[in-house]
Amino acid sequence: MSVDFLHPGETVAIDKSVPALEMRGIGKRFPGVVALDNVDLTLEPGKIHALMGENGAGKSTLIKIMAGVYGKDAGTVRLRGREADIKSPRDSLKEGIKVVFQEIALIAEFSVAENIFLEGYPTGKGGSIDWKKIRADAAALFKRIGFNVDPAARTGSLPVSQQQMVEIARALAHEARVVVMDEPTSSLTPNEVSLLFTVIRRLAALGIAVLYVSHKLDEVFEIADTVTVLRDGRHVSTRPIGEHTNDTLIQDMIGRRIENLFPRKRGAPGSKVALSVEGLSTAKKLKDVSFEAHAGEVLGFFGLMGAGRTELAKAIVGYDPITSGTIAVDGSRLLPHDTHTGVRLGIGLLTEDRKSEGLMGELPVYQNASLASLSAFARMGFVDKASERKAVQDYVDRFRIRTPSLFQQVKNLSGGNQQKVLISRWLMRGLKVIVVDEPTRGIDVGAKSEIFALIDRLAGEGLAVVMMTSEMPELLGLADRIAVICEGRLTAIMPRDKATQENILNAAIG
Amino acid sequence: MSLVSTDTMKPGPSMLARLVARQELALLLCLILVIAFFSFTAENFFSVRNITNVLGQASLALTAGIGCAIVFMSGEVDISIGSLLATIALPLIIIMNDTNSLVLGIGGALLFGLIIGVVNGYLTAYAGINSLIVTLGTMFIMRGGVYLYTGQRAIPDDAALDSFIALSDGRLFNIIPYSAVIAIVLLAVFAYMMQHRPFGRQIYAVGGNPEVARLAGYDVRRVKFICFIISALLATVAGIILAARVGSAQHTAGLNFEFQVVAATVLGGVSLAGGIGSLTGMALGVLILQFLSNGLRGLGLPTEWQLVITGMIIIAAVAFDEAKRRRAIGG
Repeated sequence: MSVDFLHPGETVAIDKSVPALEMRGIGKRFPGVVALDNVDLTLEPGKIHALMGENGAGKSTLIKIMAGVYGKDAGTVRLRGREADIKSPRDSLKEGIKVVFQEIALIAEFSVAENIFLEGYPTGKGGSIDWKKIRADAAALFKRIGFNVDPAARTGSLPVSQQQMVEIARALAHEARVVVMDEPTSSLTPNEVSLLFTVIRRLAALGIAVLYVSHKLDEVFEIADTVTVLRDGRHVSTRPIGEHTNDTLIQDMIGRRIENLFPRKRGAPGSKVALSVEGLSTAKKLKDVSFEAHAGEVLGFFGLMGAGRTELAKAIVGYDPITSGTIAVDGSRLLPHDTHTGVRLGIGLLTEDRKSEGLMGELPVYQNASLASLSAFARMGFVDKASERKAVQDYVDRFRIRTPSLFQQVKNLSGGNQQKVLISRWLMRGLKVIVVDEPTRGIDVGAKSEIFALIDRLAGEGLAVVMMTSEMPELLGLADRIAVICEGRLTAIMPRDKATQENILNAAIG
Repeated sequence: MSLVSTDTMKPGPSMLARLVARQELALLLCLILVIAFFSFTAENFFSVRNITNVLGQASLALTAGIGCAIVFMSGEVDISIGSLLATIALPLIIIMNDTNSLVLGIGGALLFGLIIGVVNGYLTAYAGINSLIVTLGTMFIMRGGVYLYTGQRAIPDDAALDSFIALSDGRLFNIIPYSAVIAIVLLAVFAYMMQHRPFGRQIYAVGGNPEVARLAGYDVRRVKFICFIISALLATVAGIILAARVGSAQHTAGLNFEFQVVAATVLGGVSLAGGIGSLTGMALGVLILQFLSNGLRGLGLPTEWQLVITGMIIIAAVAFDEAKRRRAIGG
């Protein structure tokens, strides 16, 4: 009735006429948010089923209900034809549902082998743990899969990619009927990905139902038999992969065509210089960089990995020290290494690393948004909460920030909405120049177009936007002028209509 | 990509066991240094009599330290053990005085300890109250309760059963105090549990990362609940031995005992954050502090100095540990 990947010889044939797992009308709400609304999903034994959707579409919630991490508010779950009541991860594991979560779920202090058998230690006489068997089985499992991981290593000492392999191996160490993989390739090399796909196909051949969660189209086309797409917590479509093209899948995921990703509403940029940079050099990277950015313009900086985009962004807002050169915001000199003056003059950085350099995840939306402008709300040294919240509410409305309330912890928002909170922080302070570093990193397709629209609007309102990006479509779709850096030097600067992918790349290579 | 072949794997204990072994080796070296130092400097230190005496003195902290360390490993703390030591002497002595039965007395004491363990465990694991607050509360309640019941006087052990008194001055083969034998047996049993029984590994997993433990199908709350019961029962055993030594139930018994145990446990490398450490380490921590205190007394240093030195050693040991860990992460 079940399959043991470690001992396939002992496998009893799986009845393929009954779905391994059937979810009907699943509903789940969190305070202020409907995460899932009437979602259906059927997993057939021996088939690879892809689950797609943008961040916030409800994929993770659905998996967590399957795994017993969350309870469901509505709907039924049937396992092999029988109704099942999954109340905890233990129930789910007992039913043979093995989930490989996106976040590493391993005990760092334990050995790799022990982590693989965390769910149930093989025991010998009298119920004591059979460590020998654990080490031997773990080694055998890795050998069967072809993953190169030392079973005796302390798990926390391994790189993330190897930990991900340990997670995958763990799902196969016990009897499984349904294997769920949530974005399993996010830190694997192409080689390891192809090994993983071999394993997944073998699982399916053994009669295991596989649910493969991903937003990578090419992977899904390569591995899946069937695709289910969720959007905004609702079921959109379930079709054989053969009926899909790239476009139809994207359309199902975002609910509109991708052409209007870069809506341009702003007029032509003005001629007023908002930011001027002369002969800027830093100790580590930048060499003699000079440019001007005009009010109402999006100036796009393109560069390959390590070209110096982030270094430039941090230097011109006064975050990092410089060795020579001058920076002037709206005509006033900004001395380096002084973000306080930078902010006062009206230049701010939208960081590429929201989690560690941008947001305070535990704090509510309104405190994150008002952080840079607290003095504006202060009355006799105390923050006037009412006017603070009113100001933040204005931005939440203007930018359509999707949050249940101003008091929601910002870490619970989607990447796109977090980015909007950060943009609000700077606009509330009253900026003339905003430097955005990889504005859509970690943000999914649908939310990207909202961020693009927002950048367009910022420029339309008269800000100078300096955008650092490694994404060609973003650059070509948004910028008025395009600057290219290579190994810390400015190698080209050209108007959008003179730019082609070729001459940009040529300049980027140097 | 090459396959893992079994012959490249090192046989032997798990990585964790090896890491812990290294830490224990360092502690063992410290213990030997302490003993060697006082053997040369303090009179009458290095003798069978003195060393077995120290073992007997250490047995209370060793026994209760098992529970303290296990609760630490599960990611919680229990500081009610000192008060529990004093409190369980009440049912123990009263029942023995009334019935002349050691078995009934011990049974009553264990039952009382069980109740305290259930209360601590329930409030922490199921009601979700911070364990430091819960056990601080039960610590005060029990200490106050004993004081209310006994007043300034002690309740003497009128029954004076031979078997009970043997717990305080009896020695196995006339050498090793029974209390030390009990502590060593309990240590062996629980150390085996922590390394070789699934429940022991569950405690490490729950303390190491409760969310991961839950995803692996563990009942995190139940594991923590049981850890508090283990801690209370072991403190009860220590309390029974203490009552035998003092020969009475009194409100000052076991005062500050919890902090001596916590100090030794931390010195032994058991992390307050949970998931790290071993009972062997805890035991070595207890012995180092006990021999140190005994040796300093042998040198004629007043008790006040022992406190100061103990405090410095604990901070130094944990700082050293932290530095080692940072280097391991950074490198």
